[in-house]
Amino acid sequence: MASHRQAVFNDQPYVDPNPLPTSVPPVDELGTTSAPLKSASFFIGQYCKEVNEDFMLCKSENRDPAHCLKEGRKVTRCATELIRKMRESCLAEFDAHWQCLEKNNQYFQACRVPEKALNSCVFTKLNLTKTIPGSPEGQPQVHEKEKPIFTRVQK
Amino acid sequence: MSHGFRQDMPPPGGYEAIKYKRNLPIRGPGGAVIFGAVGLICAFGFYRVGQGNLEKRELKRELAWSRIHLVPLILAEQDRDTYRRHEAAVAREKEIMKDVPNWEVGKSVYNTKRYTPNTIVVL
Repeated sequence: MASHRQAVFNDQPYVDPNPLPTSVPPVDELGTTSAPLKSASFFIGQYCKEVNEDFMLCKSENRDPAHCLKEGRKVTRCATELIRKMRESCLAEFDAHWQCLEKNNQYFQACRVPEKALNSCVFTKLNLTKTIPGSPEGQPQVHEKEKPIFTRVQK
Repeated sequence: MSHGFRQDMPPPGGYEAIKYKRNLPIRGPGGAVIFGAVGLICAFGFYRVGQGNLEKRELKRELAWSRIHLVPLILAEQDRDTYRRHEAAVAREKEIMKDVPNWEVGKSVYNTKRYTPNTIVVL
């Protein structure tokens, strides 16, 4: 085909206005952008461990999107609930951390100071701890290091 | 024998010895010390690189797990959207093909029970 154009229309985003069928119970999408999600990721992983694993097991049964809608709704509700709880109890620390991530290319190592505050606040209020699976035993995890080698790069 | 002049003579005690010998006093630390110090600095540097590599590995692990923890959430959201679009496409197809007899709406082109994602997006 003698055309330099791709067979897609990029001038407008692909939006399908049709709603979900009424047979599917509605759930509000989380709508959180990447930096807050990254900031809360380890807490989501811990708080929603069971529903997440349930969902992923369901997905491994069948990749069809229609197969795991119910489990998927539970996942989204759980994450929404956690974000709401975090905002209720640790709003200032949460905002400080994700805005730091936003400004530092979303590098965790650049935001250890606000992260420490967030972690301690979440631990006292929600009893969730950030643990990285597979970290070497018997030494502080990378976010608990006193003197990390990698911090902010070029600033 | 008095001539009225005095012959120039060496100073009493004689001239001092001529300094012809090489005089290079040893200054600063010796070669072995400098070599050792450079070795120590290098050793510290390599130790630091090693620690940095270990820390880099842990940072990668942290990043990977932060993404793994978010996979179900994002996949669930995407699934709902895909499902919604698929249902709409099926409804559209049903409406378009309602006059064609024996037309199976939403039938896959593949002869398999496995889920085959759509490769065509209807705009």
